[in-house]
Amino acid sequence: MKTTCHFIYKYIFQIVLGISIISVLVSCRKELPQINQPERYITGNFSEAFEAYWNGMNNNYIFWDIDPTNWDDVYKKYKPLFAQMNINDSTDVRKSYTYFKEMTSKLVDSHYALQITSKYVKDSAKYISPSTLRHSKEPGYHGIIDPNFFYFSIPPKYLDPGYVKGFVNVSDGSQFFAIAGKIKSNILYLHFNSFNLKQVYGSTTTNDAQKTLKYYFDQLKNTVGLKGIIIDVRSNGGGALADLDLLVGNLTDKPYSIGATRSKGGMGRLDYTPWIDAQVHPAKDAKAFTAPIVVLADLNSVSMAEMTTMALKALPTGNATFVGERTWGGNGPLLPNDDVYNGGQFKTGFMNLVYTSTLMLRYKDGKIYEGLGFPPDVEIKYNGAALDTGTDPQLEKAISLIPQ
Amino acid sequence: MKKSCLLFVLCIIAGTLTSRAQWSVGLEAGYNKNYLFTNSGFRAFTEYKPVEGFNIGIPVKYTLNNWLGIQADPQFICKSNRVERSDFFAGVYQKNTNSYIQLPLMAHFTFGGQKLKGFFNVGGYAAYWTASHIKGTQLNIFPPPNDLPGNSQYKGIMDIFPGYSYDQKYDFDSRKDRRIELGVLAGAGVSYQLKPRYELFAEGRYYRALTDQQKNYMLNQIPRYNDTFVIQLGCMYHLGK
Repeated sequence: MKTTCHFIYKYIFQIVLGISIISVLVSCRKELPQINQPERYITGNFSEAFEAYWNGMNNNYIFWDIDPTNWDDVYKKYKPLFAQMNINDSTDVRKSYTYFKEMTSKLVDSHYALQITSKYVKDSAKYISPSTLRHSKEPGYHGIIDPNFFYFSIPPKYLDPGYVKGFVNVSDGSQFFAIAGKIKSNILYLHFNSFNLKQVYGSTTTNDAQKTLKYYFDQLKNTVGLKGIIIDVRSNGGGALADLDLLVGNLTDKPYSIGATRSKGGMGRLDYTPWIDAQVHPAKDAKAFTAPIVVLADLNSVSMAEMTTMALKALPTGNATFVGERTWGGNGPLLPNDDVYNGGQFKTGFMNLVYTSTLMLRYKDGKIYEGLGFPPDVEIKYNGAALDTGTDPQLEKAISLIPQ
Repeated sequence: MKKSCLLFVLCIIAGTLTSRAQWSVGLEAGYNKNYLFTNSGFRAFTEYKPVEGFNIGIPVKYTLNNWLGIQADPQFICKSNRVERSDFFAGVYQKNTNSYIQLPLMAHFTFGGQKLKGFFNVGGYAAYWTASHIKGTQLNIFPPPNDLPGNSQYKGIMDIFPGYSYDQKYDFDSRKDRRIELGVLAGAGVSYQLKPRYELFAEGRYYRALTDQQKNYMLNQIPRYNDTFVIQLGCMYHLGK
């Protein structure tokens, strides 16, 4: 004890100096910021509204890895602008709409849409969709093909007598319709406007849309000598991912990979989980379909319509050809709840919904087609004039690719 | 001014040199537990947890006098962590096994008797994050069909999205990952003079990283610092006369 006291007395200066240096060093860490859920911000002013939105995007958006937008620059530019505005001033609210449109204009996520809640923004302007704005400026842009064309023009002109068609209202309030039939007695054709196949096919209430799907699957299974199939997902806005195994899973007898997905792995912009294999699983008793398959898709084929096109192209039998136009480019899977995958869509007090993908999809060729669209093997552009006369050049090309 | 300070420090060290000055070299190995000083922001049911690891090193010590020495421990050390989800999301996790080559440099203070001595170490370290391995289970959004029988309910998220397990090398992202780590350390232990040239020691040591595991690549970034607690055993061999 005496020795220790003597030691401390003798080297008191060095000890104090050492403790001081250590104290300075250990306090050299950055503080942990408190980052709040976008939904929790009180949107009493535009500064808060901007912070809530910016932070939500900063932490939830899945595409920062490949997105050209510099989100830090967005903060530096727009934070002071929003700080000057009044959230209860109708002119400022409309100005904010312009700002939101500008700052999101290059976001690669082609599902992306902002829904502004304010009563000062016109109904027509409440929905900001950067990909729609981008596509609408491209040469050759066109809206969706009129559903009546599929329902009323294609069947009598191209399908053999005996085709079936029907529509039904589905759980999200939209109307689902499907048309199925044969062409030249040995090509099976299917068109449907959205991916509600499993819901409609498995419905306990019989309806014509369900009969159409049953016809398609029965013919696929039981027709001897089918020369090919045409699956038409043109102007199809997507829907349930579960339909992939029902539709494409009936064309294969073994599971196969179409690519991979990844989700957020943390709060950081570049925090990701590893790539997880995205597989199609064969339906019960399915056999590999080896005759030619032609998938028809166009600029307005989005989300599941694009994934289905990719999945058909990735079939192990290698017998699918994609005819039509480059797809929309919004193929990241999407869930309504951001807690499941720790990323994706969210809300703020000022935004009814920030609609954005939950996961990033990479096709089996290693490329990410988000924002780019999936390219066709045989490009046949939309021809509005031909459609007006009841002629469908894309479908005609598809038919020509199936040898008799 | 800097030169004067350096000269002053060198004079102090030179003044302490006695005939006792000698080199020692040895081997040490230990068990550690690494905590990540960070938070999971507003992520629900998500938590960072500590993970055990090990370290092995070759301590080299230069004894200046009977109470002070300078020690360097070039070593391999694992500083791992785990991100885990809980409650309904239980089963989703990722274990990050991080390997570092580390060079701690410290002042070694000794006190006590002839054979049994106490010591404490204070210093700093530089480390290089050489490799990382990730193992875990994440939700698979492309699951095989898994319809629940009627009247049953989901017990957890895995009933909806079956888990996808992986065990693979982590590919560093040069935009994000900071692979150089600097920090401070403090340790305390006891040593026992087994033979004139051999000395056994046991030590508890704390490494506190002062550099973030991530580069400053985004605003409102949540930093991640390693806090590593080590218990190690080793043996030193005294060189020279």
